[in-house]
Amino acid sequence: MNILSRFLESLQNNDARKSFCIRDQYYTYHQFAQVISGVRYRIKSGLNETRNNVAIVANDDIETYASIFALWLEGKAYIPISEHTPADRIRYILNETNCTTILNSEVGFNLDTFETIGTSGARREILDLDPTSFDEERLAYVLFTSGSTGMPKGVPITFKNLTALFTAMDTQKEHQIQTNDKCLQMFELTFDFSVVTTLYPLLYGACLYTIPKDQIKYFYIYKLIIEKKLTYLVMVPSVIHYLKPYFSEINAVDVRYCCFGAAPLDETIATDWERCVPNATLYNSYGPTEFTVTTSYYAFNDNAEHRTVNGVISLGKPLDGVVAIICNDLEEIVPLGTTGELCLAGAQLTSGYWNNPNKNEQSFFTKELNGKMLTFYKTGDLCIQDQEGYIMFVGRKDFQVKIRGYRVELSEIEFHAKEITSGLNLMAIDFLNNLKNTEIGLVIEGNQFDTKLITNELKKRLPDYMIPTKIIFAAAFPLNANGKVDRKVVREFFE
Amino acid sequence: MEKDKIYENVTQAFRKVLEHENFNLKDTTSADDVEGWESITHMMIITEIENQLNIKFKLMDLMNMHNVGDLVKSIDKELHSN
Repeated sequence: MNILSRFLESLQNNDARKSFCIRDQYYTYHQFAQVISGVRYRIKSGLNETRNNVAIVANDDIETYASIFALWLEGKAYIPISEHTPADRIRYILNETNCTTILNSEVGFNLDTFETIGTSGARREILDLDPTSFDEERLAYVLFTSGSTGMPKGVPITFKNLTALFTAMDTQKEHQIQTNDKCLQMFELTFDFSVVTTLYPLLYGACLYTIPKDQIKYFYIYKLIIEKKLTYLVMVPSVIHYLKPYFSEINAVDVRYCCFGAAPLDETIATDWERCVPNATLYNSYGPTEFTVTTSYYAFNDNAEHRTVNGVISLGKPLDGVVAIICNDLEEIVPLGTTGELCLAGAQLTSGYWNNPNKNEQSFFTKELNGKMLTFYKTGDLCIQDQEGYIMFVGRKDFQVKIRGYRVELSEIEFHAKEITSGLNLMAIDFLNNLKNTEIGLVIEGNQFDTKLITNELKKRLPDYMIPTKIIFAAAFPLNANGKVDRKVVREFFE
Repeated sequence: MEKDKIYENVTQAFRKVLEHENFNLKDTTSADDVEGWESITHMMIITEIENQLNIKFKLMDLMNMHNVGDLVKSIDKELHSN
């Protein structure tokens, strides 16, 4: 069954159950269905064009979540945008996707000539939940991730991709959600993990607990875990990095499932965290946006001794239907235990970057495997596969880093910083702060000057997680034996 | 420790973490009033204060901290619990 039908069936079956808890307010599945119908009504009355992509401002309220399904019922795809994203970047994203309409549940977000449909307070007593039409090949959403050429790349995902993901997840019973589960939803809709943490609980009639925008995320998560007795957690590792100094105070006995993802998981901190959730089974997960959220899982239970490389926990084994190979630069499979680039094929794979033939040429290739021609995506992640098929993360092939789980191309920051400083020699680098979380530093070659202008200008162009938190000056960049800038030494400037 | 002295320590921690001095901390000051005081730097400020004063906040107190006044109150509480 397709995802939209499964969702509609769940709405019906779980009518009186709680669907969302947002800022302490609960909504039943029935109320959620009413909001979806209300938003749909406004879309029908306000959207007088045939364009297929509609933007949603990623707020934390019931109307924002309802907007996703209202658009799907109308046969449209959603493009999540964040109010923290600079206007220029949003303009670029909307123009790229031929999107002229923005759904917004809050007032005060106006952008040029883009038409805004307000969704606040949308409700309809009489439900309107029949899809206008449905086609598995149709787009469900387009997400934008950092691009090395200075502009973000669009990743289109179809319903077929989503069906493949959830079908694969369903075959692994241990991830399945129960109707009485209380699930954490900590991700903004611009982050692809939100697709799993929103849709998966809703398919099973469970309740989602969200994080208000004005709250400090990791504290609020802890508060929800303790006060609301959450049972099912999917989080980025940075959450537990922040909570680490207080682990001795945490004893969350209600948590039965805890899965990490979107950034490398450190073995030491994960095993310390295990003691804070004594009744939970722990997992690590992995997957690029291009491959519809999740590609593989690693179960802590299956491994008495953790499989690690450099203290980073394994990405696990591929899900059903995912073909994962490790290749050299010639796109040939390397022997087990050898480092290479992780390449993925299967029904979860995007059709390619939005309007970006050059990038597609670089990132995708076809290869015959066991008599079948398959399209593979090069993840840029350097990995090793062991004898039992476990994939281990070794590092990145390029200069992409993860900041709070978001993918960031350091060259995108450098591109803009260079433009702002009229071409000064500079370098963006990831470094670990004293809480072991990754931050971005910018080193500028030359004499010191006031960097406020750079920061302010960068803020106009890039989302907040891409803004360097420290800017320093160096007389000259340190070089290694090959005459290249020694990134290790540059990193030490900050650590 | 006097409240003024606590304020001095807090201000010092803010300066060190945020790397600027464009703020005047009062009981009612919250994250919106100070440039750079957000969820990431908040934890660094907390750690800095803990190290400086040799105290350890309770997670429950941190969770319910909404402004500088709450912070100062928690510091006072921890200083007296030792």
